[in-house]
Amino acid sequence: MASVSEMYDVGWEEMRDKLRKWREDNYRNSEQIVDVGEELISEHSSKLGDDSKYDEANKHYDAILQDDPTNTAARKRKISILKAQGKSAEAIRELNEYLEQFVGDQEAWHELSELYINEHDYGKAAFCLEELMMTNPHNHLYCEQYAEVKYTQGGLENLELSRKYFAQALRLNNRNMRALFGLYMSASHISASPKVSAKVKKDNMKYAAWAATQINRAYKMAGRGTKENKCSMKAVEEMLESMQITMS
Amino acid sequence: MPIQLTSQAYCKMLLHAAKYPHCAVNGLLVAEKTKEKKKDSHSEPVLCVDCVPLFHGTLALAPMLEVALTLIDTWCKENNYVIVGYYQANERKKDSRPNQVAEKVAARISENFSEAAIVMVDNSRLTISCFEPIVLIYDHHENKWKSREVTSDCFEDWGEAQKITSALLEGRSYENLIDFDNHLDDLRNDWTNPVINKSVLDLC
Repeated sequence: MASVSEMYDVGWEEMRDKLRKWREDNYRNSEQIVDVGEELISEHSSKLGDDSKYDEANKHYDAILQDDPTNTAARKRKISILKAQGKSAEAIRELNEYLEQFVGDQEAWHELSELYINEHDYGKAAFCLEELMMTNPHNHLYCEQYAEVKYTQGGLENLELSRKYFAQALRLNNRNMRALFGLYMSASHISASPKVSAKVKKDNMKYAAWAATQINRAYKMAGRGTKENKCSMKAVEEMLESMQITMS
Repeated sequence: MPIQLTSQAYCKMLLHAAKYPHCAVNGLLVAEKTKEKKKDSHSEPVLCVDCVPLFHGTLALAPMLEVALTLIDTWCKENNYVIVGYYQANERKKDSRPNQVAEKVAARISENFSEAAIVMVDNSRLTISCFEPIVLIYDHHENKWKSREVTSDCFEDWGEAQKITSALLEGRSYENLIDFDNHLDDLRNDWTNPVINKSVLDLC
């Protein structure tokens, strides 16, 4: 497909000025805007200067949204720009607003959970993952990520929740190693806590022991035939043993 | 004691960052365990002989990090290594300061090795030719992490490191680099990266 600059025999400055004019005059010709804008950004972005490349892109997306406010792709691209510029608080705010309108957008919920995790706001990240788990109850990855967030939040209650969700993830996919390790870690920490009753301690030690056996088995199966992996397996065995000692 | 990087440690860090250009990546730096320090060897640099790439993407979650730290610690003991540092390459090009995750992991490492260092990769200067070192080294002084000037003295042999890293980047060896995340996805993936280590040795 011929480029815009070839078809109309214009240089990049003319293209940039044309975009500006369209925006100011509120022209409704989004397809042309997309073609011209995309080419400008992809081929001439270095001439537009480092930050103004984002400004130019934003103007381009604003024009599209003026034309079609339901264009979710353009809205999400704008949020990506905020993220790329390091404006996490704004990106989070915009994404929240977006999700109020487009509640079913799973990619957006997941992106928001990641933004919250990077800001260490684990409570809100957990909320996003809860939304994802509700609409995707069979997805072991969301379950396992939720468990990781709860574990990171810390505290006995969150640890117990995390153990339950690691177990659930394993039920959904018994080969999810993160869930298996997570189950081992959370059960071990709970059994080592001074605040739990003897029964809870005993139960969690059982869960941890079961998980340890499964982990060792998984490593044995993976290590069959390869000399290098035997080293890793030994390390895992010793790690599990040493943790039992420090936990008890 | 300031840390020094071998070619293997340096190039694996950069390969990790290059493999996931759209993500933050992190990993651990290991050195050989030395016998009891003599009193006058206080200023001898600690040589990081290797690094273990850990995660890419979300770095701020605890459970897998704990697993990795414990597992790698056990592996170190078997190989007479000790974890002496932590490296991180942030998600955004213009951001190369250590964040909360980096400081937390480094604090944990410091419990076992008092002179732990943080190495940050400067993404904005990552090129295939590697004509200059693109790491920033942070030491812990008076409760703050302060960056140190990086010269060729921070490397066992900068010329060799530059040559090997550039060759491996050009040859796209990073496609075969295994980090701990890859290992968790499939246990057969070996995070000690014997294949890459051999390539490094062959180029020495």
